[in-house]
Amino acid sequence: MQRSFIAKNPSVLIFLAILALFTLLVTVMSEGFGVGGISTSFIKTLGKTLCLCLIALAMDLIWGYTGILSLGHFAFFGLGGYMIGMWLMYERTRLIVVDSLANAEIPPTDGEVIDAIGNQIFGVVGSSDFPLIWAFADSLTIQLALVLLVPGLLALIFGWLAFRSRVTGVYLSILTQAMTLALALYLFQNDSGLRGNNGLSGLQNLPGVTASQDYVSLWFFWASAAALGAGYVLCAWLVSGKFGSVIRGIRDNEARARFLGYSVETYKLVIFTLTACIAAIAGALYYPQAGIINPAEIAPIASIYLAVWVAIGGRGRLYGAVIGAAFVSLLSTWFTGGQAPDVNLGFYTIKWVDWWLVLLGLSFVLVTLFAPKGIGGLIDILSDRRAAKEASQ
Amino acid sequence: MSTLLEVSGVSVTFDGFRAINNLSFQIGEAEMRAVIGPNGAGKTTFMDIVTGKTRPDEGRVIWGEKSISLLGMNEARIAQEGIGRKFQKPTVFEEQTVQENLLMALKKPRGWFAVLTYRPSDADLAKVDDLAAQIGLTDQLTRTSGELSHGQKQWLEIGMLLAQEPRLLLVDEPAAGMTPAEREHTTDILVEAAKTRAVVVVEHDMEFVRRLNCKVTVLHEGAVLAEGSLDHVTADQNVIDVYLER
Repeated sequence: MQRSFIAKNPSVLIFLAILALFTLLVTVMSEGFGVGGISTSFIKTLGKTLCLCLIALAMDLIWGYTGILSLGHFAFFGLGGYMIGMWLMYERTRLIVVDSLANAEIPPTDGEVIDAIGNQIFGVVGSSDFPLIWAFADSLTIQLALVLLVPGLLALIFGWLAFRSRVTGVYLSILTQAMTLALALYLFQNDSGLRGNNGLSGLQNLPGVTASQDYVSLWFFWASAAALGAGYVLCAWLVSGKFGSVIRGIRDNEARARFLGYSVETYKLVIFTLTACIAAIAGALYYPQAGIINPAEIAPIASIYLAVWVAIGGRGRLYGAVIGAAFVSLLSTWFTGGQAPDVNLGFYTIKWVDWWLVLLGLSFVLVTLFAPKGIGGLIDILSDRRAAKEASQ
Repeated sequence: MSTLLEVSGVSVTFDGFRAINNLSFQIGEAEMRAVIGPNGAGKTTFMDIVTGKTRPDEGRVIWGEKSISLLGMNEARIAQEGIGRKFQKPTVFEEQTVQENLLMALKKPRGWFAVLTYRPSDADLAKVDDLAAQIGLTDQLTRTSGELSHGQKQWLEIGMLLAQEPRLLLVDEPAAGMTPAEREHTTDILVEAAKTRAVVVVEHDMEFVRRLNCKVTVLHEGAVLAEGSLDHVTADQNVIDVYLER
């Protein structure tokens, strides 16, 4: 009865193969390294989509497998983006400042350089002093560590408080919404130290790198694909063993798990913190491709979209989350980007930019009512049919 | 016989209603005990207190030869101490196979990291096979437990409790909704289990209690009304009054 990891998770190999093939195809079609069938901006869109697939995996782990409907994971995604954004913005500004002062008659002192950087970065919010939270912005290593530490710590503290008090169900969902809203409102303030509603910008430029965006976009695309592949393997490993049994047990019957001797609160906290870290990594890869991050990114609605993707894709199955995130977010880009043709009904013209949300909401309702297993459920039906066929032969 | 669990002077009030009123109860190791009583007598609340789900307003719950207090421990901690609980409704993890259910229940470290790195050894799988044989589910190991019949789910849950290797088993109405043949099998499983550990069965089916052939504790309005053999308690005038009142 003991089976290997791959035998238990046939979807892992298939997924990795498709991901590798897709990455290769995009690379060949790119302007940087290939024949140039795909524009650089679309490669960025694809790379960003891979990051969204990664956070959807995290969402599936916590919602689909553990049964905790967190509606706040975009807070961790955004924080991850802010942490890497701080270094990108600081370092790039520093290089520009040093460059512009290089020809000055009197060489600038370190203090003058710092002041000039501060002026550049915080001028928009009427300040030039570095807030305390920028203390490590000059160190890539520390900021990379903070990508995990800050969201991880926030999740740990929030989760500890919430789970310890046995807040469950819709109450927990509301709490997580409150958390992401509070964080967004805080960041909107000019004196939050992260440039208020301006956010951090110019993140697509890697400091000290002269290569064009045609190449940089591909590097991030590859990194996103690698992160998604690694995330998929990690999640599949987590849910396939006894740990997976326990978290699904907690989802289906919390009391039973508790009376079997499993500390339900600890398991929830572990999953909550871990998924927050996965979300943070996804965010840290996403925003350098988006180029800009501002507090609107972590508004409560973003986390709700995340739940909608996973529901449409099919929760409780990892590929479902990936399919849902990729499918819905790409469609969303198409509809809201003005590329979808308007539908003229004679008396009324449907403009998809306005009507896309209605369509999305409608499909969410329909999926919930008629296909609770989502798109991933269709794959289940197909593979079940094949298994039944093999069994009957 | 040494005392395994001692509950003394326990009271608990829910919104002014005294569910348990100065209750005292003792059980030794390797003992079978039936707890009977009319609805609302406090049988389930008694279990809730012992397993840590409900905290009593006063009284003591003392466990084991080291005489540690169970009050203030959470459910998971108490379960790890060796108290297993079966619910009235069969509660198993319906989306998982019988084998996965039993593996999860096996007495192993419960911490998340230990569970994360756990891989079932051959000995563990053999133990699961033994348990499945004991509860008559050998042929169902790979089935999803949600597909099992009501009686089979009840046995699976008892099997999961046995897998925990508890020193005390609390069983809430195990025979509810079972056919006569299933009841007999359930009796056998429980009697067998009581040879090596303490078993408390809450039941109001007298016929089933008679078959268990053990000491009986009668609860009424949250306190012990009578205790002794079934014949003794059914002859007790107080017990007759309480049951006839209904």
